Amino acid sequence: MYRYDAIDKEFLTDRSNEFRHQVGRRLAGELSEDQFKPLRLMNGLYLQLHAYMLRVCIPYGTLNVAQVRRLAWIARTYDKGYGHFTTRQNIQFHWIKLRDAPDILDALAEVNLHAIQTSGNCIRNTTSDPRAGATAEEIDDPRVWSEAIRQWSTLHPEFSYLPRKFKIAVTASAKDRTAARVHDIGLALRRGRDGTLGFEVMVGGGMGRTPFIGQTIKEFLPATRLLSYLEAVLRVYNRAGRRDNIYKARIKILVSSLGAEEFGRQVEEEWAQIDAARADLPDTELARIRAAFIQPGLEVLPPVSDSYEAARAANPALARFARNNVSAHKAPGYAIVDVSLKAHDATPGDANSDQLEAIADLAERFSLGDIRVTHEQNLVLPHVKQSDLPALFEGLVAVGLATPNINLVSDIIACPGLDYCALANARAIPVAQSIAQRFLDADRAELVGELKIKISGCINACGHHHVGHIGILGVDKKGEEYYQLTLGGSGAEDASIGKILGPGLNADQVAPAVDRLVEVYLAERQGEERFLDTYRRIGMTPFKEAVYVDAH
Amino acid sequence: MSAEFLKALTANRLGEGDVVFWSSGQWVEQFADAELFTEEAPAEAAVALAKAQNRTVVDAYLIDVTRSEQGVAPVSYRERLRALGPTNELGHGKQALGGAAIAALQAASGAARSTGRLDLIRRK
Repeated sequence: MYRYDAIDKEFLTDRSNEFRHQVGRRLAGELSEDQFKPLRLMNGLYLQLHAYMLRVCIPYGTLNVAQVRRLAWIARTYDKGYGHFTTRQNIQFHWIKLRDAPDILDALAEVNLHAIQTSGNCIRNTTSDPRAGATAEEIDDPRVWSEAIRQWSTLHPEFSYLPRKFKIAVTASAKDRTAARVHDIGLALRRGRDGTLGFEVMVGGGMGRTPFIGQTIKEFLPATRLLSYLEAVLRVYNRAGRRDNIYKARIKILVSSLGAEEFGRQVEEEWAQIDAARADLPDTELARIRAAFIQPGLEVLPPVSDSYEAARAANPALARFARNNVSAHKAPGYAIVDVSLKAHDATPGDANSDQLEAIADLAERFSLGDIRVTHEQNLVLPHVKQSDLPALFEGLVAVGLATPNINLVSDIIACPGLDYCALANARAIPVAQSIAQRFLDADRAELVGELKIKISGCINACGHHHVGHIGILGVDKKGEEYYQLTLGGSGAEDASIGKILGPGLNADQVAPAVDRLVEVYLAERQGEERFLDTYRRIGMTPFKEAVYVDAH
Repeated sequence: MSAEFLKALTANRLGEGDVVFWSSGQWVEQFADAELFTEEAPAEAAVALAKAQNRTVVDAYLIDVTRSEQGVAPVSYRERLRALGPTNELGHGKQALGGAAIAALQAASGAARSTGRLDLIRRK
C-alpha cells in the first residue's frame, strides 16, 4: 500500500498539534462553541446524542496491520471497545471525549491515519473497490488513482469551502463495488480502442432527500488528464452551486437544473482554460504512486489447492463460507475473502477490539498484511492462499466473524440511526437485527440469493436506502418510528433509485413485510433471476399486494 | 391531552460530551434528577444561565416532558434515548445504572416530535 513520506508524517503531526492547541483554547473558554465547531468538524469530531463521535478516514478503504491494531487500541482505550465501519469505508468511534481527541489524533498519526476531511464541505474520502489489486476483473488498479485524488484533494485551498460536501468514487471493474453512480463524481476506468487508459466520468449522482443517478458527461477522459478535469468540474460547481440553500447545495441539484449536457459543456470550457502542465499529475509522480501498489509476496501456486478442496468437502460450514464469502483472485491458488460484520445479533458494521486484533493477526498470517473496508460495512482480506482458507476460517469462527452471508438477505447496510445519530428520526440497527433474526435459516437465505437491504434512519440516506433492492427509510410519524419501504434500487453498475412500496410500517411490521416480499420473489422468479431482476420484470403490484393484504 | 407546561433543560458536557440535565443551578447526570419546570419564565431563565456556561456545556435546550402512570419521561423518543443510551448496547450510556427510574424511562411510550430539532444539519 501507499507509504507516507517524511512530509506527510510531519504534516499529520503538525495538524494534531494544532488541534490540541484549539481544544485547549476551547476548554479554557478562549473559543466559543460557534468558533470551535468548524475546527473540530475539520478533524472529524461531531457531537452526537450521547457523546462526541470521531470519524477516522480510511483512504479508499485500505488498512494495514498496524493501523487495524491501533484502531483496536483506540476503541479499547478511549471508546467502549468497538468501532463502526461506515458506508464511506471509514470508521467511527461513538463514545469519544473532547478532552481525549488530541491524544487520539496523535495515536492515529503514528500509524499514518487521521480524521481530516471526514466532515465539512470539502472533498471527502474517495470510495474505491475493496478488491483492488486482487481481482482479475479490474482494468487498472483503482487505488493508484484514488491515491492521486487523495493527495490532490487534501487541504486543496480552492476546494476546502465548497457549497456542500463532495464524494468521489473510482471503480475499475464491470462489477461496480463502489456505488459510483450515486457519488458526486463517479469515475469508471475504461480502455480506449487504442488500448489507452481513461475514465468514464459520471457527475451528479447522490442520495439524501433528492436522489439522482449520476450522468455521464465524458465517455472517455484520458487517464493522465484526470486531475485537471476534476479541477474543472469542481470549479464549475464551486462557482454555480447553490450556496443559498443547504438542501439544494449538492452538485446533483446543479447538474439536474442545468442538464448534464450543459453542465458538461461548462466543464469543457473551464477545462480548456486550465494549464494541464500545472494541474495534471506528472508521469514520474504517477509512476511513483503506482509502484507503491505493486503487491509483493504473491507466490506462484497451482490454481487449485488439494488440501483446501478436501477440507471443504469434509466441512459443510467451510463449504458454505466458501460459497458466500470467498471469491476468485487474479493469482492462481489465491482467494479474496469477505469478512462479514453482519452476524444476526450484531450491529451492522461494528467490530470490537478483540475482533479487530484478530483480523490484524489473521491478515498478517494469511493476507499479506492487507485489510480492506467495503462500503457495505464489511471487511475484506484480499490475498489469501487457498491452502490457508481452512485455518483462516477457523480463526474467523473463533471471534464471531465467519458469518457466511455476503450479499444475502442478512448482509444489511444500516446507519447508526437514532441510537446514536443527532440527525436521525428513527432507529436503523434494531430493524436490521429483526430482519437478520427472521432469516436465520442459512439454507433459506442462500435459496433467496443476492438481496441487498439498506436501512437509513433519516432522509440523509447514510444507509443508502435509495439504492437497496429493498430500501428502508426511518421516518418520524407523529413522534413514533415508522419505516417506508422502497423496492428496486441498486447502487451497482445497474444503478437505480428505489420506488416507494406503500404506506409506512411500524418497527414490528418491517421484518414480516420483508418476508412477504421474499415469498413473492420466490414464487415469481424465473431461472437465475435475483430479487431485483424479478422486481424489474413483474413490477411493484404483486409485492405491494402481498405486504398490504391485511389493509384491504 | 394535558396542556400542562412541563419541561426539563438538557445539554452535553463540553469536555466529555455526556448528556446532562439542569437541576437548580447544577448539571446532573440522570434525567430522574432533572429539575422540572412548570412555568415558562423560570425555564427560559435557566436556558439563559446555561447558555452563559460556555466552558461547561454545549447545545443547551429545553425538552418537553410528560407525566404518566410510569412516572415522568421526555416526550420524544430521541430524548428518551439520550436519557438512556442506545438500544443496541444496553450496557452503554445512562441505562447501565439500572434501577427503578431507568426502568420507568424504558417503559415510557407514545411520543411527539422533539423540541429543539430545527435546522439540525446546521446545528450538528
